Amino acid sequence: MDPRVSGAVRYAHDIERPGMLHAAFVRSPYPHARVLSVDASAVPSDCVVLGPDDVAGLGHYGCQIKDQRVLADRARHAGDVVAAVAAPTPAAAREGATLVEVAYEELPAVFDPLEALAPGAPLLHEATGASARDAVSIDVRPIAGSNTCHRFRIRHGDVAAGFAGADVVVEEVFRTASAAHAAMEPHATLAEWDEDSLTLWTTTQTPFNTRADLAGLFSMPDEDIRVIAPPMGGSFGAKTFVRLEALAACLARKAERPVKAVLDRAEEFVTLNRHPAVVRVRIGARRDGTLAAKEVDCWVDTGAYADCGPGVATKMGYAGVGPYRIPHVRVDSLAIYTNLPPSGAFRGYGAMQSVWASERTMDLLARELEMSPLELRRMNLLRDGDEFATGEVVRDVHFEECLQAAADAVDYEADPRGKGLCVLLKGMQTPSRAAIAVERTPVGYIVRSASCEMGQGVRRSLQLMGARLLACEPGQVVVPDPDTDTSPFDTRTTSSRSTYMMGRALGEAVRDLHASGGERGFGEIRNEGGLDPDTGQGIASTHWHQGAAAARVAVDEETGRVTVKHIHAATYAGRVVNRPGAELQNEGSMLMGLGTALFEAIDFADGQVTNANLSEYNLPAAGDVPRLTHELIERDGAEVHGLGETALPPVPAAIGNALASLDVHVTELPITAERVLDAIDSRAAGSRSAEGAA
Amino acid sequence: MRVELLLNGRAAALEARTDEMLLEALRREGLLSVRATCGIGVCGACTVLLDGEAVSACLTLAAQAAGREVTTVEGLEESDPVARAFSEAHAFQCGWCTPGFVLTVKALLAEDPDPNDEAIARALGGNLCRCGCYLKIADAVRRCGS
Repeated sequence: MDPRVSGAVRYAHDIERPGMLHAAFVRSPYPHARVLSVDASAVPSDCVVLGPDDVAGLGHYGCQIKDQRVLADRARHAGDVVAAVAAPTPAAAREGATLVEVAYEELPAVFDPLEALAPGAPLLHEATGASARDAVSIDVRPIAGSNTCHRFRIRHGDVAAGFAGADVVVEEVFRTASAAHAAMEPHATLAEWDEDSLTLWTTTQTPFNTRADLAGLFSMPDEDIRVIAPPMGGSFGAKTFVRLEALAACLARKAERPVKAVLDRAEEFVTLNRHPAVVRVRIGARRDGTLAAKEVDCWVDTGAYADCGPGVATKMGYAGVGPYRIPHVRVDSLAIYTNLPPSGAFRGYGAMQSVWASERTMDLLARELEMSPLELRRMNLLRDGDEFATGEVVRDVHFEECLQAAADAVDYEADPRGKGLCVLLKGMQTPSRAAIAVERTPVGYIVRSASCEMGQGVRRSLQLMGARLLACEPGQVVVPDPDTDTSPFDTRTTSSRSTYMMGRALGEAVRDLHASGGERGFGEIRNEGGLDPDTGQGIASTHWHQGAAAARVAVDEETGRVTVKHIHAATYAGRVVNRPGAELQNEGSMLMGLGTALFEAIDFADGQVTNANLSEYNLPAAGDVPRLTHELIERDGAEVHGLGETALPPVPAAIGNALASLDVHVTELPITAERVLDAIDSRAAGSRSAEGAA
Repeated sequence: MRVELLLNGRAAALEARTDEMLLEALRREGLLSVRATCGIGVCGACTVLLDGEAVSACLTLAAQAAGREVTTVEGLEESDPVARAFSEAHAFQCGWCTPGFVLTVKALLAEDPDPNDEAIARALGGNLCRCGCYLKIADAVRRCGS
């Protein structure tokens, strides 16, 4: 029986060590407050309390900007950790945490990225911009004296001249909500010290990034920290970079015992969420539909700490250009601090937010041009050898096939009413490096890789690719858990890069094994590139994820209820390695996209999460699944293309465009009944679309 | 307190506090397929069969299991048809929620051996899969039904 069916998988959450203690956290009830004192005198003596004095000598950490401390001396969001307790049982630790008395001085707070940019807005971090020292860092561009921790720009062509030459210009502002990854498995970390070396068993997609950031924090050599990454019960971007590891390590050092930290469900909602964003799109075209110029402005709410918000703002910026030939492009994308919980990587990494805005705007433009939205897209799509707005030339281009397949699945050309389309390009982490080792054993092979298993099936894909390359059965290929002591370096398990990058590295390793006696082989792949943050020129992605979606909907104009009748996604796979696994990636992405489109939102009141549980925060359930179809587009001899995220970002825009075809123009996600009714009311008021309604 | 019950087909006794949930007591017995997830009985990842009925172990007091039969996936036979159907249909990704789904489906099929799609969706309503495997889970159920 598969261990996932028999319940035999052991997650980080299940691991125990002799003598270990359990952690609980003391969290700020205020969204912005200075910690004046921490009094642990009421805590029982069998508890170990971590307070400000214990971490005073430690500096800051953070994967792109070093702006986090192990314990906040100034809480910057409701739920920020200000003290921690370790005790023999989880219940005793939670009880101990309630007995820690913390005195605060409340500070003014800000919860909206645009308000956070206004003059006089409270500043979250006085000094921003210290880049991390490791491979995680991108070239960040903070704006001094503001809440902007990164500004990404694309400057391509002459936008003013481009708009001057346009016959039709449309502009709209779109918003997307914060969302929870809501992996079924919570974050879990077990930390254990042995003299001066630290071992962590932790839920992570980023073992090497986590090791490097902790090494910086603790002023230790990387080699003295060992990060082991057991399979995860889902992640979707939530388990990236340092989360509980620094806290668990500090508690374990003070306790001189192993310490395990496992979050409860409510804590998950204040740990890492998806970036809420405001995206303004302005696009101009000639009367025949040829795109002339485009401007995209993104205000990306990264919450209390930058985390990878600079990277998300960058990807959101270029994904908002779309897979189109546009001679003149300006993009400004700002990652902005607010007093909400931190936002970070979330399946699609910023693409969804700007694709929602950009692809909804394409349908507005089509309406103004009195053109078919399909035809408008088709005539402007990037084709092989075209130059993207970043200046890079795109190859292996399949946007039109994806779009046409999606359109055909809903019979779009026969009757587009109630139907909507979306096509997208999504980048892969660039630059990046993947290395892998193969060792022969008496019964098969061991493949050592730091690609982390989170349900996406990377272990199975490595087994299947390994078996093909090594001419053996998949069962003879053993893939141990990632372990920084024994797995070669990998940038991280993100951006749907593992099958492509690690797969090619495995090919190199097997060649090396055959060339060097058949016992051991090592392979490494480096993809170079990156963008200049001030101009957006360079190599955004060495490998483009390409996809499209179509939706057919009905709307009840009395109640505002939207019924999705059918969604279809087409993704470019190149070559499928593991067919059921690939299908599951499309299906899972589409369902997450459906939740994003219709009902998923973290609600805040004055910075407090008001729906921090799985009853009030709705996840798609079996009864929510509409007719859902998809296809994996393959080509003989093609490269493997990652599939982990591509089918998520196009779903909300396809649904939004289907509503727009019924003259219901919703600009904010999720598309709640209230927003649908508002859109119907504003239509009745004649504020929009009178000319397009026919 | 001592809770005597039939656990995965064998007579057993759980040591538990009077206010303790079945979830904690089962995990202490090493039955780690029962997983604390939402804590409020909406996600189904801690589903167990209590006298054949699918219940959330996070909302069931350990004491409530006294004198009754509790089944977790650890108690299923290697040849269990529902478990086999999940494997054949590839009806899982990360596997965290899968044992709960398997037990929910066993309870469904005991009542309705050949459920239609609507009955399947209704029966699965108390189990969440964030990886989004619902199409293949429904396929697994249909494989059992036919």
